[in-house]
Amino acid sequence: MTDLIYFDDFQAGQVYQLGTHLLTAEEIMEFAAEFDPQPQHLDAGAATGILGGLAASGWHLCALSMRMMVDGLFCRAASVGAPGVDELQWRKPVRAGDTLRLEGEVLATRKSSKGARGYVQFRFSMWRGEERVMMFVCWPMFGCRAAAGAG
Amino acid sequence: MGVWFEDVPLGGKVTIGSYTFTEENIIAFAKKYDPQPFHIDKEAAALSPYGGIIASGWQTALVWMKLMIAHRNAAVAAGEVRTQENYVSPGFRDLKWLKPVRPGMTITYTNESVAKRDWKSLPQYGLLEGYNEGLSDDGTLVYSFINRVLIARKPAE
Repeated sequence: MTDLIYFDDFQAGQVYQLGTHLLTAEEIMEFAAEFDPQPQHLDAGAATGILGGLAASGWHLCALSMRMMVDGLFCRAASVGAPGVDELQWRKPVRAGDTLRLEGEVLATRKSSKGARGYVQFRFSMWRGEERVMMFVCWPMFGCRAAAGAG
Repeated sequence: MGVWFEDVPLGGKVTIGSYTFTEENIIAFAKKYDPQPFHIDKEAAALSPYGGIIASGWQTALVWMKLMIAHRNAAVAAGEVRTQENYVSPGFRDLKWLKPVRPGMTITYTNESVAKRDWKSLPQYGLLEGYNEGLSDDGTLVYSFINRVLIARKPAE
């Protein structure tokens, strides 16, 4: 497991590409039925309010981005969770058929007081082509290499 | 019958509902959206800093949305005055996963309207901010965040 990514490996300025996902109407409606059952997320025929037609729940995009973070980075890193999200912006409606790309930019790093782990401040951006549809800043934690007895 | 942004009062803390997290629903959620060992694998979780399975923070967050919609639908069905449209949100802030949520815990969520702001990019709407808490069975604060929702302003006569 010496190839795991530890806190020590993160530096401000790094950009991680975390994959793409083609969103379908079926998964928009399936997610909404369970967690966010409002007409604009449930009904392909709905043209309600300012979203103007079927659009993904913003929370669905959060869950999708988490999955992309795990598959694209955390699964090969000493990830130990996150204390929260500073700010998240849903900037554009996201539709069935959109291909979404997730990118994570390291803004800062901060070792915890106990020294066994550290916080990495990321700005995660979800892109549809050149359009940033969602953006958020959070501080996931990673174990330190020395504390893990590795390398 | 709805109300406009101008008519929405601040304050009025309400309990929006409760949800019991189980090993089964924690693992099922995490396998789909957050498949990290401390959410899906009991043995690996026991060796993690958490000492056992904990819920994905996003599950804690999404359950809030699920309960909020149910709470709102119940209020509408009961004939209470609500806002004009479905919720549309430009995002949220200060989301805090304060304590691990473990199997068997029941989390009770509350919401209180705390601020009204202008929203420059859509001036026909106003922004309502709510402070939300998730409390465990013994009253410990495990989750909090500020939600944001856009509400239509009263049209000019």
